[in-house]
Amino acid sequence: MGEVAIRLVDAFKHYGPVRAVDGLSLTVERGEIYGFLGRNGAGKTTTIRMLLGLIRPTGGLVEVLGHDVTSGTRSWLRQVGFLVESASAYANLTVRENLAIQQRLTGSPSPSIDAVVGQLGLGPYADRRAGRLSLGNKQRLSLARALLHRPELLVLDEPANGLDPAGIVEVRELLTSLCREHGVTVFMSSHILGEVAHLADRIGIIHEGRLIEEAPRAELARRARSYLAESFSAQQREEALLTADLERYFLARTDPVGIHGTKAGERRA
Amino acid sequence: MRDVVVTEFWKLRRSGVTWTTAGVIVVAVLGAALLTWIVRDPARAASLGLLGAKANLAGLEATWPAFGSYLTAIAGGGGMLLLAFVVTYLVGREYVDDDTSKNMLGLPVPRWRFLAAKLLVAAVWWAVLVILLLITGLMAAWTLGLPGMNTGTVLSTVGAVLAAAGASFLLVPVCAWITVASRSYLAALGFALGMLLLGNLIGHTGWATWFPWSIVPMLTLMSGSVPTPLPWTSFLVLGLTFAAGTAGAVHRLNTADNP
Repeated sequence: MGEVAIRLVDAFKHYGPVRAVDGLSLTVERGEIYGFLGRNGAGKTTTIRMLLGLIRPTGGLVEVLGHDVTSGTRSWLRQVGFLVESASAYANLTVRENLAIQQRLTGSPSPSIDAVVGQLGLGPYADRRAGRLSLGNKQRLSLARALLHRPELLVLDEPANGLDPAGIVEVRELLTSLCREHGVTVFMSSHILGEVAHLADRIGIIHEGRLIEEAPRAELARRARSYLAESFSAQQREEALLTADLERYFLARTDPVGIHGTKAGERRA
Repeated sequence: MRDVVVTEFWKLRRSGVTWTTAGVIVVAVLGAALLTWIVRDPARAASLGLLGAKANLAGLEATWPAFGSYLTAIAGGGGMLLLAFVVTYLVGREYVDDDTSKNMLGLPVPRWRFLAAKLLVAAVWWAVLVILLLITGLMAAWTLGLPGMNTGTVLSTVGAVLAAAGASFLLVPVCAWITVASRSYLAALGFALGMLLLGNLIGHTGWATWFPWSIVPMLTLMSGSVPTPLPWTSFLVLGLTFAAGTAGAVHRLNTADNP
């Protein structure tokens, strides 16, 4: 920690009168998992596209791994893996062939395709055309593409899109392991607090293009509990807890590999 | 650059579009051969119901030079459309079918290389189609036993076909530019079709040698009265069209937002 992976200073992106990003400033340190939370249309994807140089900021500074994204150089992208919004791949090519394209263009080592296919549970689908994959497996392919060249920084826009609860847990554990064991920095967006709450070291909330709140996860959880206690009835809080309990129960009952330490059907024994 | 070119070729694996374009070329040549056969033997064609009572075959010849001019027209005029389709597909699939443009443009590769590689793939694809056109055309002419076919006239036709094919290739970067700008197929294909019509129209005016989309039809004798040879300025216009289309597409790739 200590070095900066992502730095936005008073960044703007305007589309005519629409202020998609409106004076956004934030810093993500290396080795950190940063959860970027916001409703649909809050400016998450626009921010992520600015980070990757896919769109140009109207104003302000956007730096990734020490490089100004508007400088025109592109070599820094070799250290960045990303997933933007929807899963996409060449439909006529197999999973392995799609990854081979990424491997060739990023110069990643050759054994890494098998490794990343295994990591993301794509083994049975490796020779299947991407156009015939389910939405969840397409998302896994997109994540595999992002991880293939062993980047220092992962920028993930709604990485859980299309994944079932078990898949979400697998990806969550994979990202945690990459961060803790290999020092990979993760910047991930979501519109679901629960998705980032398990994972992020710090969480920033964007609304109408502005960062309205930013705090370490534990602190944000404390603020959330306090707010819930003040603003919601006991019954509403009970319902929220019930939803979380049911999700955990569903995961335990449908988890074939025992990710949660309890294989399906073992609890009763 | 080599890696980008190799991956652009990989992207065509199992693509039905390559076979479709090959089919279009073969059908076009066979159509020209059928017309030539009808001209050579109108009575038999009429007995088979291939010739209407009011069909006017005056001025048409069933000779190798005439058939060769059809092949040249397919390479030139057909090329303007078919090649526009090929380039529009190669660029447009990243935005439309596969939605992979964001993956491609976020790679640590200068973006101009993707355009250069796609144009190179299109050139190789087009070269294969032109070879297919020549082989099918020669086989059809040999089968029909067309008069006037000798080494000199065959080489002359091959030269004209290659010149027309090369000239039509110089127009396609503009379609790539329109595809990148519009992020769709339709605008570029509509443009190509519109230019084919406009080019034929302007081909009959005094500006014909200055309008890129008239020069190719003139070169293939499809339109206008051809000054022989075409002035050097016409070739300069084609070269400038290629340069402008390429520069426009690269500029757009480098500077435009990719939302």
